Amino acid sequence: MPRPKHRSRSLRRVQKKMPGGKTRQVYAMRKPKVHKCAKCGVELKGIPRFMPNKAKNAPRTKKRVERAYGGFICASCAREKFKQEARLG
Amino acid sequence: MYEIGRVCVKIAGRDAGKKCLIIDTINKSHVLIDGQTRRRKCNVKHLEPLGQVLKVTKNAPRPEVIRLFKGLKIEIKETKPKKKTEKPKRLRKKKEKPVKKAPVKKAPEKKVKEVKAVKPETKPAPPKPKAEEKK
Repeated sequence: MPRPKHRSRSLRRVQKKMPGGKTRQVYAMRKPKVHKCAKCGVELKGIPRFMPNKAKNAPRTKKRVERAYGGFICASCAREKFKQEARLG
Repeated sequence: MYEIGRVCVKIAGRDAGKKCLIIDTINKSHVLIDGQTRRRKCNVKHLEPLGQVLKVTKNAPRPEVIRLFKGLKIEIKETKPKKKTEKPKRLRKKKEKPVKKAPVKKAPEKKVKEVKAVKPETKPAPPKPKAEEKK
């Protein structure tokens, strides 16, 4: 029987090889969800699924795309937005 | 539509959303642009043309483009050009082979018989004068 704190499924179960050669079940944090476009909902490219502690120390260039609205809306939606902005003035 | 002097907005890439000016047409699909963006070759698919057309000479230098943009009330920030430096090359670490030293034959040392240090002969201390005979 697992410990009471490990009975909830908030932590995922990972099979890990121990230095002795045996495999053992280890409890690990779940990975964050994939970032999605705020407009169309498509999965964003170029944005890794950093764990929060890693994202904190990672450089800004590795966390988003080098474009206006990068990391927030996808490239095709951004293109549409720039077109609209240009046409409306 | 994409003639020299046309003001456009770049809609793709890292300069997306910035205004630029067409300086030269390279072929049907490619033009040379400059302005808020970097001076570069660009596909017309990545441009959205605006209504303005400015009078520009072909391949106009950067200062002229900046002056024209000032007329449109768009200020272009000039960045200091970086000093050119060589790209750092990754070199594989070469393992240094341990150099085997040729064994140097030592000349056989001649055995020298150790001569026992002869202690200097010391004369035995003179006997102490006997205590005076008791009278």
